[in-house]
Amino acid sequence: MTDPTPGITEREAIEQAKQGNEAAFEVLYNLHKRRVYSLCLRMVSNPVQAEDLAQEAFLQLFRKIGTFRGESAFSTWLHRMTVNVVLMQLRKKGLPVVSLEETLETDEQAPRKEFGAKDLKLTGSIDRLQLQRAIDRLPPGYRNVFVLHDIEGFEHNEIAQMVGCSIGNSKSQLHKARLKLRDYLKFMRAEKAKTG
Amino acid sequence: MKCCDVEQVLQELLDGEPDIAFEGRSSERTVEMRRASSDLEAHLKSCPACSELAADLKLISSQARQLAASEEPPSRVWVRIAAELHAEGLISQPTPIRPVLVPTSAPRRWSLWWLAPVAAGLVVAGSYVVSHRPAPQVAQQTPATPVTNAATAPSPVPAPVPLPKTAAATPASVPAPARQQLAQKESKPAGLPETAAGQAVANAPGNEDQRAEDQQFLSVVSTLAPSARATYESELQAVNADIRETQAYVNRNPGDEDARQHLMDAYQQKALLYQIALDRIQ
Repeated sequence: MTDPTPGITEREAIEQAKQGNEAAFEVLYNLHKRRVYSLCLRMVSNPVQAEDLAQEAFLQLFRKIGTFRGESAFSTWLHRMTVNVVLMQLRKKGLPVVSLEETLETDEQAPRKEFGAKDLKLTGSIDRLQLQRAIDRLPPGYRNVFVLHDIEGFEHNEIAQMVGCSIGNSKSQLHKARLKLRDYLKFMRAEKAKTG
Repeated sequence: MKCCDVEQVLQELLDGEPDIAFEGRSSERTVEMRRASSDLEAHLKSCPACSELAADLKLISSQARQLAASEEPPSRVWVRIAAELHAEGLISQPTPIRPVLVPTSAPRRWSLWWLAPVAAGLVVAGSYVVSHRPAPQVAQQTPATPVTNAATAPSPVPAPVPLPKTAAATPASVPAPARQQLAQKESKPAGLPETAAGQAVANAPGNEDQRAEDQQFLSVVSTLAPSARATYESELQAVNADIRETQAYVNRNPGDEDARQHLMDAYQQKALLYQIALDRIQ
């Protein structure tokens, strides 16, 4: 990752942060704050909680930065740490980090496949804010897998390991999440067409 | 292949990298998946409903990628992190901002004054854009905000405030965006649709006055705290981009209350950025 601060690279910032240099901590924070905060916000759908979680993720990172040896990418290390912080918080609150299989899915939660008329295709592009809102409406388990896979780019085997489910379950959750999002987005378009 | 089989195959093939998914599978399974893939393609060509489903799911997946790193955390997050790092003793080499920034002359100290009204004005601007209600009192209330108080309290010298040149002909407590908006409000005919005023206001972060104030802000920061310039510059760019993008959305969807609130938050975030700079520099 390139460094927005002239004269100091991420690697140099890491080394200086290990020495307790405040400016180096700030450089690292600025390099990764958007990715970390966005990840937290998508997973909990609550800006206040997302701020707290982002803060906790960075603090954990900075507390452990002395152990970072550079074998893996710093961003990978940080993002995994962030996911773990969020998942731990969800578990503490008793929220599901991954949805149970469809046997326990209620009619309300199930994707409404009949929804959406043919003339409301999601062609072209999807408005970012609408997509954000649709993601916020997903059940937490679906949302987590969708965020981790489609937004953050984690593989199914990584997701399965992090959230504690099978790879097949992760794939299934992702597919259902996409179907639900399609329904929500079509619903939003239909509502907008009605009102507008 | 029938329509009812499509979802199962899509689930396997839409996960981004079907070829990678084939790796490590038995050759029998690989052959099976490749056959399913070609069957799917053939089915999609002949079935508009399934073709639409596949296209929609691909679109959702591809658009979702753009949400990574799309949100800017409020500036207070770093402030809290830094405070915690200090409290835990993890910082042994504090950023030498304060010693460098001790005002050495009156002009330098006074050159920071304009930050406070600009920050307060940003809140006013955000409020106006969000509410679209004429609120002349809002600007009058500005001096009572914590932002202004923070700026005025430490200064013992009752000299005139050297505002940015864009503000020369207007009251010191109202920065350019707010001034522009208030002027628009004053001159707005009663029958003018509110969205028109809002739309004009919306361009404030991108207009020349705002750019000039941003540049002046950055030049003060780079003079007094060179190491912090890149940080503030990046913060400013991000928050301005957020304001522009959200405003464009609000212009398209004037009835969307959530979007208006988001816009207000963005303005407040920019005001907070100015305030933090003021707190650190003074």
